[in-house]
Amino acid sequence: MLNVDEMPARVRSFLGKVEPSWSNVVVDSYEVMTGGYSRLLARVELHHDGGHETLVLRGDPPADRSLIFTDRRQEFELLRVVGDQGVRTPHALHFDPTGEDLGTPTIVLELSRSTSFMPYVAAGGSLDGLHVRLAEALASFQAVPVDSLPASMERPSSWDAYMTKRIDAWRQASLHHVESLPVFHYVAEWLDAHRPPAAPLVLRHGDFQGSNVMVTADGQFEMLDWELAGIGDPREDIGYFKAVAQAAPPDLLDDARVEEFCVRYRELTGLNELQVNPVTIAYFLVLGVVGTVEQLVHGGGAWAKGENHLFNSVFNMSSVLFGQSMWLSFLGQLSEPMNQLAAAAKGGA
Amino acid sequence: MFSRPTTEQLLAGIAEQLRTVVSAEVQTEPTKILLQQIDQILMSCSRRAAHEIAWIYEEVDRIAAETGRSVGHPDSLHLDDMVAWYDSASRVLSEEVEAAFRAGDESRIAKMKAVLDARSAVEMQILGALDLVGRG
Repeated sequence: MLNVDEMPARVRSFLGKVEPSWSNVVVDSYEVMTGGYSRLLARVELHHDGGHETLVLRGDPPADRSLIFTDRRQEFELLRVVGDQGVRTPHALHFDPTGEDLGTPTIVLELSRSTSFMPYVAAGGSLDGLHVRLAEALASFQAVPVDSLPASMERPSSWDAYMTKRIDAWRQASLHHVESLPVFHYVAEWLDAHRPPAAPLVLRHGDFQGSNVMVTADGQFEMLDWELAGIGDPREDIGYFKAVAQAAPPDLLDDARVEEFCVRYRELTGLNELQVNPVTIAYFLVLGVVGTVEQLVHGGGAWAKGENHLFNSVFNMSSVLFGQSMWLSFLGQLSEPMNQLAAAAKGGA
Repeated sequence: MFSRPTTEQLLAGIAEQLRTVVSAEVQTEPTKILLQQIDQILMSCSRRAAHEIAWIYEEVDRIAAETGRSVGHPDSLHLDDMVAWYDSASRVLSEEVEAAFRAGDESRIAKMKAVLDARSAVEMQILGALDLVGRG
């Protein structure tokens, strides 16, 4: 995908197979895009007898240049499911599962005409009401029936079993790293000792953050990059969004907006005030990042052992360092509120 | 060997040249982003180079004092030996954190938390400002 001389012919040949109604395809431009941390991205402008098209290719980098390893087929199948369910996300058009045509396993997407959230904010875009839109965006994909999700997605046997595994992922990330990470063990033990009230398991985006959402012309959120999606606790994506916003503002779930967000989210999902409130969001601010953290730590460890050569693997360890400071601070403040929440839940049971 | 300019100064100097001279010549967006990432990492390396051995000693001493466990000594002051020693002390700290929680011992948990807070303060000193260049 990085070979800009070779790719136009490959794209033309691939489209000849999957879009037989497009006659006389001419690739006008092929441009490698930035913004994808883990996948290769390219933008293709082309025309054919029937009109003009703009496509986005999203493919795997070579193995020794891979920051994280995820399943393109699962991502493609999921994109089709969520698209069919009306979730706002760029439509997945085609898939080259082996890379035989496009050089690497690649999903072909329509180009989103929305504005990336971070540049939208940097350009002074209004944040008014976006915390409510955020609740609506989350509820939209969490409402997708679990039964309709790709069969390759792991189905946890229960909420408790799921939480046990997610919490243990912190310990495992440390145990499998090139050096022990005591903060990870502290986080795991603390999370285990302060579990929140249970909630039904749903589709989880897995990397729901400002860099992976766009703002549509009518002020709604559109979601990108589903490669880390899974089935999990609905509050994980909320906490994760807030966690990333600590390092890359704005925080749409700050003190001024979080209550209103919770009201709208509860209204749409049917979850109650013990399940969704600023305290449980703060709990999942920490737990919700573990999937990404374990991938980043794995990448950094692999780089240290000479098993990958992707500079992003080193750079991303800075995010983990920043995160450690944030997790310690948050958990320190959260013990008492979580104890109170547990007491309230017990009282209502 | 020449000890001055120090490694800290050299790395900071390289970062400055990349930032002020090389960056202006770079045309493509991915390479510009890479240069910004390299700049951040070089500055972290510069700060580490100045204090790394001392920070390891200070933290291992703290771990030994707060856990009451022996952490031994490094085989030498060479970095590989120091890092191996630091890892063994970190494993002791990880075990003690888990033991404190499983015992439900709030005072012991608070002690371990204080050691971790001190570790994190050093890490933030190394990191400086986090700028997630290349995202979004």
